[in-house]
Amino acid sequence: MSFRIALTVGVLVCCAAAADKPLTEAQRRLNIESFEHVWTTVRDRHWDPKLNGVDWQGVHDELRPRIEKAKTMTEARAIMSDMLARLKETHFGIAPADLYDDMGSDDDDAGGGAKPSHEGNPGITLRVIDGHALVTAVDGHSPAAGAGVKPGWEVLRVDGKDLSKRLKRVRGEFASSTLLDLLEERSASGPLTGDVGSSVKVAFLDGAGHASDLTLERIRPRGVLARLGNLPPLYFWVEARKVRPDVGYVRFNIFFQPDDIIKSVREMVAACGDCNGMVIDLRGNPGGIAGLAMGLAGWFVDKGGQQLGTMYLRESNLKFVVFARPQPFRGPLAILVDGCSASTSEIFAEGMKDMDRARIFGTRTAGAALPSVFERLPNGDGFQYAIANYISLSGKPLEGIGVIPDQEVRLTRQALAAGQDPVLDAAVAWIETQKK
Amino acid sequence: MKLTVTKIGLALLLAAPAARLLAADELPKAETILDKYVEATGGKAAYDKLHNIVTTGSMSFGAMGIKATVSSYHAVPNKTYTEINIEGMGKIQDGTDGTVAWSLSAMQGPHIKDGEEKAQAMREADFRAETDWKREYKEVKTEAVETVDGKDCYKVIMTPNTGSPATRYYDKQTFLLVKVAMTAKTPMGDIPVESVLEDYRKEGDILMPHKTTLKQGGQEFSITIDTVKYNVDIPPETFALPAEIQALLKK
Repeated sequence: MSFRIALTVGVLVCCAAAADKPLTEAQRRLNIESFEHVWTTVRDRHWDPKLNGVDWQGVHDELRPRIEKAKTMTEARAIMSDMLARLKETHFGIAPADLYDDMGSDDDDAGGGAKPSHEGNPGITLRVIDGHALVTAVDGHSPAAGAGVKPGWEVLRVDGKDLSKRLKRVRGEFASSTLLDLLEERSASGPLTGDVGSSVKVAFLDGAGHASDLTLERIRPRGVLARLGNLPPLYFWVEARKVRPDVGYVRFNIFFQPDDIIKSVREMVAACGDCNGMVIDLRGNPGGIAGLAMGLAGWFVDKGGQQLGTMYLRESNLKFVVFARPQPFRGPLAILVDGCSASTSEIFAEGMKDMDRARIFGTRTAGAALPSVFERLPNGDGFQYAIANYISLSGKPLEGIGVIPDQEVRLTRQALAAGQDPVLDAAVAWIETQKK
Repeated sequence: MKLTVTKIGLALLLAAPAARLLAADELPKAETILDKYVEATGGKAAYDKLHNIVTTGSMSFGAMGIKATVSSYHAVPNKTYTEINIEGMGKIQDGTDGTVAWSLSAMQGPHIKDGEEKAQAMREADFRAETDWKREYKEVKTEAVETVDGKDCYKVIMTPNTGSPATRYYDKQTFLLVKVAMTAKTPMGDIPVESVLEDYRKEGDILMPHKTTLKQGGQEFSITIDTVKYNVDIPPETFALPAEIQALLKK
């Protein structure tokens, strides 16, 4: 059983409510206790006892006086985040307690007493392409769909604030990082999110290049609220369909709800007995339960005992072994990724590539693939920390490198505006060439 | 009828505290300690009356806040079935019909155990292994007296007929088993695991631990037993191989 989480904490903190009231003495003490817990945990649990050469005691001695003097939760949280940032690795982070408290539950549908969720959005998916925040998908029946927003439209301003400045700043700071696409997307999408039921003013440039100012209501994100231990709740969805009569397609937004994902894959494999190929779309998928990569891989290999890679913990190493399903899909397999595919998505994609079982389409992934766990701190915040390094079957670490597609395919505004998906189209075209 | 969880894909290990130096001839023989353990937990006659045990309980995955429920069926001579339902992760099944040892979960799919992993599973499935340990272990040896949680314990090395040794710690005063250490053989690799057994309480005529805390791979989790039933009418299909396992066997 591998309950490690391979999901970047960055996906959780984009829209936390601010809580900047002065701290009580009790809160101050809890923050100091949390600081010590974070520091000690990293010292004792990081897979590398030398912590990549970071002077961890020195970090403690430098930051401890600051946490003692912190006046607000935001300040205290920033100091702990600063401590973790010294490691220069992904999967270390602090998730504000608000994220646990403010997200509504699935019971909200029943009406009455629903708490506001800060995860509300107008139903738009964005990617930043060449510095432009472009709509790549619009959820059906969402306020954005109702207002006529289409893929290929560019978001210029949100609530009067120019996105280009934010994006320029992110690009300036992270230009050489594999995380750039992910951070740009978070930076562009962040202002669109807010309380469910609230409105957001968005200035678009439509497909024909005309300005269009729309006020859109924020609604609950697509999917059901999924919970796993101390990880803040996240919305989960999965879709399985045929993009052509002879090509199966499965996409899910996060590696959660194993039963639901596997059920969809099982049904698609069963329905695809005579398909020429299958597509697993992991674009925008930030990861989730690391072990689920193995379970998913089992549907596409004929021989058991193969492995995706190895997780290196301080105490031992764990091979990510694949158990072949009794009746797997044996045809050509395409996996779609982009710069917002991270963690478990990368473990799965690179492993399948290394086994020569799949062809990867899209753009380089986020290079954020350290298995981690998620705890609650004494002050109520969530604390994510990596406990292992991960090396793929080929011997390649994914952290900071990511998965390089076999066939790089970039989205373009023109293609999006024309209703095309060049990445999926490339995968389907490749499947066509594999016909025997 | 030990409280083991290796049958569910986990295993047991030990962090060795400093050994108290005693000459070998001052230590009781391991055979004697194992007999005393059986005696202390109810006696061989009480164990021999049993032909199956059904337990239910809960699991808690330490700081991660993940919780699960567990149901376990164990019957003579060597049949097991364990089902764990983990919140947010689904069902994990594990068992043996006496011939095939297997596991099945949405996370990892169906798996038929082989080699040392199978030997370990079958050893744990042996219903009489506690009272008749020679069936499963070729050698047992008392190695030292060590302190576990403030108590002097006999450290006993158990070498199975197949596979690597396990280390058990028996309380010097009560002869209850308080700690077990071993390396779990899994397809993911050898995983050292340590388990601490506590909260001994009588269930029928048998004194058994109701809480086991395990450490493996830098993570800690605990299993708490809520109910224990003996000699119940277990439907035979409980131990039958799941369809996916049967399909794998035919492959």
